[in-house]
Amino acid sequence: MPVRIWREPLDADKIKVSKAEIHILKDQCKGCDFCIEFCPKQVLETSEELNIKGFHPPIVIDESRCVLCDFCTAICPDFAIFVIEKDCKEGC
Amino acid sequence: MTKVQLQETEHATPTESIRIGVYVCHCGLNIAGSVDCEAVAKFAATLPYVVVSKDYRYTCSEPGQELIRSDIKEYKLNRVVVASCSPRLHEPTFRRVCEDAGLNKYLFEMANIREHCSWVHLHDRESATEKAEDLVRMAVARAALLEPEEENTVPITRKALVIGGGVAGIQAALDLADTGYHVYLVERDPSIGGRMAQLDKTFPTMDCSICILAPKMADAGRHPNIELLTNSEVQEVKGYIGNFKAKVMKKPRYVTDECTACGDCVPVCSVTVPNEFDVGLSTRHGIYIPFPQAVPSTYIVDRELCLNKENIIVCDKCIKACERQAIDFEMKPEILELEVGTIVVATGADVFDPASLVEYGYTKFPNVITSLEFERLINAGGPSGGHIIRPSDMKIPETVAFIQCVGSRSERGHLYCSNVCCMNTIKDSLLIKEHWPETKIYVFYLDIRAYGKGFEDLYKRAKKEGVLFIRGLPAEVIEDRKTRNLWLIGENTLQQELYRINAEMAILSIGIEPRKDSAVIQRLLTLSRTQDGFFMEAHPKLRPVDAPTGGIFLAGCAESPKDIKDSVTQASAAAARASILMAKGKVTVEAITPRLIEENCTVCGLCARVCPYNAIIFDKEAKRVEFIEAACGGCGTCAAECPFDAIKMRHFTDEQIFAQIDAATQLDAEKKIIAFCCNWCSYAGADFAGVSRMQYPTNVRIIRTMCSGRVAPKFVEYAFARGAAAVLVSGCHIGDCHYINANYQTLKRVEKLWKKMERLELNKDRLQLEWINASEGERLASKIREMQAIVGSVSAEEIENSKKMMRKG
Repeated sequence: MPVRIWREPLDADKIKVSKAEIHILKDQCKGCDFCIEFCPKQVLETSEELNIKGFHPPIVIDESRCVLCDFCTAICPDFAIFVIEKDCKEGC
Repeated sequence: MTKVQLQETEHATPTESIRIGVYVCHCGLNIAGSVDCEAVAKFAATLPYVVVSKDYRYTCSEPGQELIRSDIKEYKLNRVVVASCSPRLHEPTFRRVCEDAGLNKYLFEMANIREHCSWVHLHDRESATEKAEDLVRMAVARAALLEPEEENTVPITRKALVIGGGVAGIQAALDLADTGYHVYLVERDPSIGGRMAQLDKTFPTMDCSICILAPKMADAGRHPNIELLTNSEVQEVKGYIGNFKAKVMKKPRYVTDECTACGDCVPVCSVTVPNEFDVGLSTRHGIYIPFPQAVPSTYIVDRELCLNKENIIVCDKCIKACERQAIDFEMKPEILELEVGTIVVATGADVFDPASLVEYGYTKFPNVITSLEFERLINAGGPSGGHIIRPSDMKIPETVAFIQCVGSRSERGHLYCSNVCCMNTIKDSLLIKEHWPETKIYVFYLDIRAYGKGFEDLYKRAKKEGVLFIRGLPAEVIEDRKTRNLWLIGENTLQQELYRINAEMAILSIGIEPRKDSAVIQRLLTLSRTQDGFFMEAHPKLRPVDAPTGGIFLAGCAESPKDIKDSVTQASAAAARASILMAKGKVTVEAITPRLIEENCTVCGLCARVCPYNAIIFDKEAKRVEFIEAACGGCGTCAAECPFDAIKMRHFTDEQIFAQIDAATQLDAEKKIIAFCCNWCSYAGADFAGVSRMQYPTNVRIIRTMCSGRVAPKFVEYAFARGAAAVLVSGCHIGDCHYINANYQTLKRVEKLWKKMERLELNKDRLQLEWINASEGERLASKIREMQAIVGSVSAEEIENSKKMMRKG
């Protein structure tokens, strides 16, 4: 049904938007970049920083884009990244 | 070009003793008003082989038919010519008359002196009569060479394909299925239901739309004879009446039939997008069901939105949430090949996008909404739970203004009336009054069209309830920045005074427009469209649900804007028409297919190369050329391509066409235009010009061929050799050809002829090519007018030159 859709939906404020909190254990990272490459929302990128092992760990570009799919956690060979959902009861 | 030399004089004489009866119809004053029918009948009596010639008031009436029947017996007629209306209208009638009297129906010929003569030359009786005589002369010349033909019968597959699952498609499918035929109901969206499912109430009875539709949807979903193919699209249709082969792509839902529609998958899905069903006023997730009553009641994954791309499952939240394990990301698109006998096209319509009318401020001012948005707002199951709220502050407005004819009846939209908006607004105004009686409602209109059963009562009720109808559309809508209220400024044309009215919300009553992609279906099924863009019926009065292509029927808004009742009525009619064909179980195919003249054939293979249907088997080794009759469409482009005159197109033979050219050029050839028009588009366009009384010069003589691809270069050359001033070749638009792509050959041949004319130093403007579809009567009329100037400029010397050159070749 090709009808012009331009408004913000009336229920936009009621739809639960996940608030993610991304944790990166920098020194555990070996810079394989899997998390960056496979993130469906392009939340991460390689940092300039060097970790203790001499690799570039990822940094978060935009945390609000994360939809908590947890795929980064699943594919990280070094258990170096995990995401938790913020408790937004009192507002985020 | 020795052939042309041979054909130069009377190239073919009938072998048997020909006895022709000619009947000139007055059609009341439709013909007699501008043509002297008596004189035409007297003239016809002087033509060769004519043994009886009469004029009659209404030849198609029963006494008129009886006159022909008794004359056939009394005068031992073996050919009949009726000079009356278009063969597209009454050829079947008179063919039946001939058959009743024991005459083969292919021995009947018609001269179109109404659509192509009296109606287009209303004010020049003398020239119109002269032209009518010429048309009769052409018809008699052709009739003398007609041959009896036997028609083949082919079986009809007793299955139907319904394209589109809106209310029209559902009704057609249900009726066909109840009659006992297997039906494939193909719908592009994830659910059937169409536009009607989006509406809140229906006029004039104020029934709840989904409440009356949902049971029908459920019936269609579980009917043993209906195979529902949602989320599917027709990709290809081949074949012909009774024997279509359709390819349908069934796109994967990624949710199997195991789904119980519990909805557990939805809250876990982390991606959202505006819901199309609610016109973007609510949100849906990546896995969703379009609306609660959807059929099939199965969720669907929007893969465009879903995080999971091909071969990578990134997010498995829905998979984990589904207890029934109904989610399967491995599903692949399927191509189904369906064999059906009949097709119902119920593809529906789109709505007008009012953003282009900037003065109304749609998309600029939040409180200007469309009537479709209103339907979702007032619907209890909609995004606002049935409250009409202003999008700017979610408050219920105290004054509401409806603006009518948005995108309809205007150069800045569509010229036609969209049929449903007046009543829809009246219904909407009553709905507001029902919920919030204090609301002040203005309706700005051009005319209120309350033409249907119960419509006027509803209109009166709205007026009684205090809805204010103001004649004159606002010229401008202005927003008050602070309050977000709207000022509507315009002229009340009844009171001839300006108005400036404040409303808290404005509702644009948007019109209905053809589907933006109707060209796809048009091409797949070789349909025609009217100037408005809706699909064209075979005859606006007498065959209103038949498409011009046999075995295809139209229902609902695909044919023209209409309300639910009319859509349902038309759908039932389409189903009945399709059932008639399938009940018979067989259909006769017109005997207009080619025959091979073996002694002329050199097995060169040119015919096979141009055949749009691959209906010619060509085997160079075995020296074999064979026509597959069942696959042949009868366009005749093979015969036009054959350089050795080895193909005879039955009922449209070279000899018959040459005889028509001979007759047309017998008198004053140097002033005449010979026009070759294809049956489906250009000839129908010329008929349309007649029906619309578009006036054009009288010197054109139209020769009908099934396809412009039948027009062999030798016909054009012969017309010039006979001294014709100009020739028009005309067919369906490129891409719209009734015979797939045969008109590409027309283009090639005409281009070659132009080159040849240049080489011979002839004025190539004398040969014109124009694509004219069945609704472009004006295009034909103006082409003839334009060619009149060419005719006037052609010198006697030029005519003599072309006579000589074309004879030599």
